[in-house]
Amino acid sequence: MNKGKWLPLVIGLLLGIAAGLYYAWVVNPVEYLETAPAALRDEYKADYYSLIALAYASTDDLERAQSRLAQIPDPDYASTLSQLAQIRLAAGRPEREVRALALLAAALGESPAPFATTPSTQGDSSPTPATATRTATITRLPRTNTPTATPGAPFEMVEKELVCNLDLKVPLIQIEVIDAAGQPVPGIEALVIWDEGEDHFFTGLKPELGIGYADFTMQVGVSYTLQLVDADIPVTGLFAEECAGEDGETFPGSWLLTFQQPAAEN
Amino acid sequence: MWQNPANAMKNTARTRLIAGIALGLVLGLLYGWVIRPVKYVDTTPNTLRADYRTEYVLMVAEAYSGDADLDAALIRLAALGSQPPLDIVLEAIDYSIEIDRPRSELEVLNRLANQLRDLQASPEIGGP
Repeated sequence: MNKGKWLPLVIGLLLGIAAGLYYAWVVNPVEYLETAPAALRDEYKADYYSLIALAYASTDDLERAQSRLAQIPDPDYASTLSQLAQIRLAAGRPEREVRALALLAAALGESPAPFATTPSTQGDSSPTPATATRTATITRLPRTNTPTATPGAPFEMVEKELVCNLDLKVPLIQIEVIDAAGQPVPGIEALVIWDEGEDHFFTGLKPELGIGYADFTMQVGVSYTLQLVDADIPVTGLFAEECAGEDGETFPGSWLLTFQQPAAEN
Repeated sequence: MWQNPANAMKNTARTRLIAGIALGLVLGLLYGWVIRPVKYVDTTPNTLRADYRTEYVLMVAEAYSGDADLDAALIRLAALGSQPPLDIVLEAIDYSIEIDRPRSELEVLNRLANQLRDLQASPEIGGP
């Protein structure tokens, strides 16, 4: 059999495939003009999340926020949103946006999504949030909806406790913010000042540790002052005090500060 | 009819070449359009389908009703394309009416549209 007689067919086939692919991929590719949010670029997905959170902050409609979030499949929305809040906080984005993300993350953290997320049809892979490695345990109180601080009523520190916990890898300033009824309050801004700088953080960005919880990592040997933006009196002289372990070895301890909003006077 | 064997071979080769090209073209198009089409996974908001686009505009309007920050609303609407922001909101209102969305949503959208109208009108107030 003469193999050479099939050569034109093979050459033609290859030329045809090349031409077909060139036409299909370059000249006239399939156009997606009607895309879904799941296909958005990561930065736009982040903006979309922020927008959902801002709309939620305005309407307080959690069900609607959840159905909007479902348009971008994600295994753990609360964690993704709290991570995004921290990223945007670090990036200097408006406080309102960060607070909105924290509030929505907190609301989702205590209210698992009632919907089944739809599988992505675009091969999308949303960033998987890192899982928390800390072992601190904060007891969550059962609640029916996300409380917000009563406007105008400043928080007061009601408890200051040195935490000697070897499970905490670094010394922390931990804060718990609760309202007059004892319910944790997310979205409360705390300002930390030390000799060489300042930083701020919000409660609710780690919903797995409680929606009224927030923490800040201390450097050993540095003294910090902490003030809730919604509190009158700052807490001064916070530094990583030495704790003694069971074997006599010392390690830097953390502070747990509890702030509460006083009950409204009638 | 008698045919020169050399010519017959040439004709056969040409036929096979053309058949190969045609078959390859079909396979190439099938692969490129159906089996493995170009995927747009990193799209921008301006490619969103009409219902998602309307939802996006509604969220912008809801956020605006909470923070009254028109500049922020304009930046968010700009992500939907180069159309004037008022047109984007009006389109969303039209679509919402078309699919029979609740009146409360239309009101939120309308509030933003009114602010955008005022914004468009304001430069002319002090004009010559």
